[in-house]
Amino acid sequence: MSRQSTSAALRSFVLPWGVLPRSSRSFLTDLPIFALGLALFYSVIAISRYWSGPLTAQVEIDLHPRALPVYVFYSVMRISIAYFLSLAFTLVYGYIAAYNARAERFMIPLLDVLQSIPVLSFLPGVMLAMVSLFPRRQLGLELGAILLIFTGQVWNMAFSFYASLKSIPQEMREVAQLYRFSWWQSFTQMELPYAVIGLVWNSMMSVAGGWFFLMACEMFILGNRDFRLPGLGAYLQTAASVGDTRAILWGVTAMLVVIILTDQLVWRPLIAWAQKFKVENVEATDVPRSPILDLIRRSKLIAFLSRKTVTPLREALVLHFAHSDLQSESRSGKAQTRTWLLWVLGAALLVGIVYAVFNSAVLLAGLHREELKSVGVGAAATFLRVNLTLVLGALWTIPVGVAIGSRPRLARVAQPIAQIAASVPATALFPIVLLALVRFGGGLGTASIVLLLLGTQWYILFNVIAGASAIPTDLKEVCNVFSFSKFERWRKLILPGIFPFLITGLVTASGGAWNASIVAEYFHFKGKTFSTTGLGAVISQATDNGNFRLLLAATVCMAAIVVTVNRLVWRRMYRLAATRFKLEA
Amino acid sequence: MNSLHNDKFRSLLGQGQWSDLVSLVKEMPVSLAADLIGSLSDEHQQTLFRLLPTQLAAAVITKFPYYHQYILLHTRPPEEMREIIDHMAPDQRMQLFDELPEEVWQRLMDELAGREYAAPQTDHAEGVHTALPEAEVTTPFPCPPVARRERETGEIVIEARGVEKSFLQPDGTRVQVIAPLDLSVYSGTVVALLGASGCGKSTLLRILSGLAAPSSGCVLWHGKPCAEATPNAAIVFQSFALFPWLTVLENVEAPLMARGVTAPERRRRALHVLDTVGLKGFQTAYPKELSGGMKQRVGFARALVVQPEVLFMDEPFSALDVLTAESLRGELLELWLNQKIDTKTIFIVTHNIEEAVLLADRVIVLGRNPAHIRADFRVPLPQPRERKSPQFLLYVDYIYKVMTKPDVMFAPPPEVGQKRIYQPLPHARPGGIAGLLELLVDRGGAEDLYHLAEQLLMDIEDLLPIIEAAALLGFARLEQGDVEITPEGRIFAEADIATRKALFRRAALKNVLLFQQIESALWAKADHTIPLELFRDLLDEHYPENEVERQLETALHWGRDCELFTYDSGNQRLQLILHPEEKTDQERESAALENKSSEVKSS
Repeated sequence: MSRQSTSAALRSFVLPWGVLPRSSRSFLTDLPIFALGLALFYSVIAISRYWSGPLTAQVEIDLHPRALPVYVFYSVMRISIAYFLSLAFTLVYGYIAAYNARAERFMIPLLDVLQSIPVLSFLPGVMLAMVSLFPRRQLGLELGAILLIFTGQVWNMAFSFYASLKSIPQEMREVAQLYRFSWWQSFTQMELPYAVIGLVWNSMMSVAGGWFFLMACEMFILGNRDFRLPGLGAYLQTAASVGDTRAILWGVTAMLVVIILTDQLVWRPLIAWAQKFKVENVEATDVPRSPILDLIRRSKLIAFLSRKTVTPLREALVLHFAHSDLQSESRSGKAQTRTWLLWVLGAALLVGIVYAVFNSAVLLAGLHREELKSVGVGAAATFLRVNLTLVLGALWTIPVGVAIGSRPRLARVAQPIAQIAASVPATALFPIVLLALVRFGGGLGTASIVLLLLGTQWYILFNVIAGASAIPTDLKEVCNVFSFSKFERWRKLILPGIFPFLITGLVTASGGAWNASIVAEYFHFKGKTFSTTGLGAVISQATDNGNFRLLLAATVCMAAIVVTVNRLVWRRMYRLAATRFKLEA
Repeated sequence: MNSLHNDKFRSLLGQGQWSDLVSLVKEMPVSLAADLIGSLSDEHQQTLFRLLPTQLAAAVITKFPYYHQYILLHTRPPEEMREIIDHMAPDQRMQLFDELPEEVWQRLMDELAGREYAAPQTDHAEGVHTALPEAEVTTPFPCPPVARRERETGEIVIEARGVEKSFLQPDGTRVQVIAPLDLSVYSGTVVALLGASGCGKSTLLRILSGLAAPSSGCVLWHGKPCAEATPNAAIVFQSFALFPWLTVLENVEAPLMARGVTAPERRRRALHVLDTVGLKGFQTAYPKELSGGMKQRVGFARALVVQPEVLFMDEPFSALDVLTAESLRGELLELWLNQKIDTKTIFIVTHNIEEAVLLADRVIVLGRNPAHIRADFRVPLPQPRERKSPQFLLYVDYIYKVMTKPDVMFAPPPEVGQKRIYQPLPHARPGGIAGLLELLVDRGGAEDLYHLAEQLLMDIEDLLPIIEAAALLGFARLEQGDVEITPEGRIFAEADIATRKALFRRAALKNVLLFQQIESALWAKADHTIPLELFRDLLDEHYPENEVERQLETALHWGRDCELFTYDSGNQRLQLILHPEEKTDQERESAALENKSSEVKSS
């Protein structure tokens, strides 16, 4: 087919494969893949050796650049493990929520609340629990960090998977139902493929979010205990607190290198691969490509391995489930035991929740009036700060996003840059920003807004770009034909057109900003503690002092505010976006 | 004798002496009474009929076509209506029930509720009762004609009993999408389900295929409920519903995978089916690389690979361009007719009338709000069907009328068994026909053919077309050399010019297929105008070229003379002349039906 020949032509343009003789060519393509396999094997050994080692709560962080690769490796491993846990959780949670109507009724609101809870408030609790679970192994501390990263990245993925399952076209479902696909076949041939694109994009966002939390949770002080995990986050924080500018720059550079490499080696190939799963009737002209994906596709070794392992396994699984499905059509009784099991699980969960709520109530009852007052004042201050950040973010991102989104040529250059910029965790940049602010004067009050902006503006920008590029050309042409003035064009077409996307961006940004406030309002830098009034600062301070009562109160307060604002403001906006401002295809 | 009655009848009618009229009618032979009543205006007909004693009414009424019977019946209050039907001869009664379109039949049955009529054991109703499905036996009346005819084609595959569908709306009210309906699908047939978009066709398809459950009622596959029967059905979707991430081959293999077929066997069967639908060599392509037509071929292949007992198709050609749809339709038909596919029955949902008539052995037309069966009839035309053949157009036209006039009931076109052919128009002028009839009246109503020729100083060859024309129009009869005037002919001969035109028009429309087609074609068009060329094409198949021209010339002559249509020789178009005071048969029928139905409702 012509498609293949053009892609072949493209490939030979990108890499000089054409010049090499055939045999050495296939050897060359397999070489990097072989190396990758070896590296993976080694890293598993290294990790297991380190994890099973004795607990060293306070690792000495070596600020020499030579130590960086090992730190980067540990950090990447943490994020990867957390990510795969999230993925597994996502698949299970989304699947149950989408297919069990009774479960759906509480699972989705729960997801909404969990998404709004500031993850960083859980840092101390989770860490202490994990360390006491594995008192003598490094594993406990590691698991704590992983669990926190997990809670930071899992919700949007779960939500995306659930939404994808819910939006599978009716007729596609009917095909599966009519031909009696087994659940496994439905899952692998319909549900998972349909959800892949959403999952890939959300995975990118989640991993970026993972870096954000990793920076914070690799090193923290809880009362008189100082927890440190060897990693890039700890390196950067240590460098910041001793004020070693060179080390900060080294760390940020390493961070950038990691992000660019992940983008090129993981996300690009994944996005290019995911194009296959686009539900469209005609082939798009501008298909994302990735040389790495081509490399994998051309590899004889991988093709051989998959032919020998994946294909037979897949076949066996499909047939197994098909047969067991055909058999189970005649007998039914399994379902009863399953519902019984569900009831027991539900009851256990309920008891656990009641117990936890009771205990927290007891804990909260002991709050001082001053503590309560600090929570209230902090909440008001952070509320203003977060919304100011949103306004500032929207002000610069809307014009820029529209400019990028409506000019495909500009988008091709600007988008990858913006994507990489967005993946740099704001927490990694905090030291640099603080460095600048301290030098030019201006306290953390101003700095925290800049920090929040760093963390949240990208969500708005990307959504505005997506919205602007989704405005139909014929509507633009209408504006040209009637020669609308610039003002009219914005008012009548652009703003209504990007509105649904803008709302999505603002919702995400708002949630992110609340969460980021915990890191942004309270900071150890150059041996000093910078802090400003705010709910985030209250939380961080409570963590530092080991004041669990205050920590709990502030956390509950923050979660409540986020959930309330979501319900009262964003959900209404969403509804408006979905009804009045929806662009029908 | 006849003319005596006739004269007396007219004069009494003129004086408005209804009771005398009734006693006159009592004396007459029934057929004459019916003829006379039939020649009256609607209003007079109904007034007179209302006054007849029920026994006489029952005798007279059977001389009318079924829709006319229905209208006349409804001039009487319900209990009298029942009495009249009771008095009807059993076979006449059955014939009426058989001929009524389903909905009208149903309405009548409701009105007659509680009555039971045994069917006569005649040839006409042979086999009706022996093969009746249980659901139908429980009703006191035999089912409408279609179900009976269907039975000949094979066993029942799917049977829907009292199936209905309603949805609960957010505000708590229920919306009825499908009214309770019974439907049987037989093996060996292509069934087309026609209806306007959004009328519930697709929902019905999903219920029959077992995909969706009805709100009440049940669907049986081979007599077993859907859940137990695990129906072997396949659906071809309008939107193709292919998995874009699977190759053509993987898409086709997917249903086999679900049945636990092993890889080599799966591949063999899928490749075979792909070959059948003309997709050999495309197995590694992805759907998005294919054109719409090719995608739908994949859709067909995926459906056919499971060798479905019933192949359901939900507007399979609607998403394709006209030419692709046409060729795909042809290929499907070819596969079906040559039995290259192992499918017992095809059930196609469509909104395209021509498509339905082209493909189907049986057409079911759904009405909307909620969906109900408006017409259910066979299309007994031989395959392959010619789109321009008059029979084909007759069906298209019929369905068109059923679909566009939801309040009116029409009779399906007559079937091939009683197939009407084009009567060649004798080349006579309307003036000549009138002259002949006047002469006949003078001669006492009948005359020897040769005598007639002698008196008129004409050659037999010149006279014959005029007599044939009069006979064709039902004004005269030619029997063993005698020309005899009919009551219609007499009325015509004695009428004034304007009435003559109207009578001629009615006679032509009643008796001559070509005029019926011209009229219905003109009616069907919004502007009531059609180029002459269309009819030239129609006639081309039946006559040699120069005869076509002569036929057209005569048809134009007659049609213009009786003011059925005008003809503009400049643009060569026919234009229907509307006669609002005197509606066409169909219009009259529909108007009367509407009145009746509203009356029924109010009572």
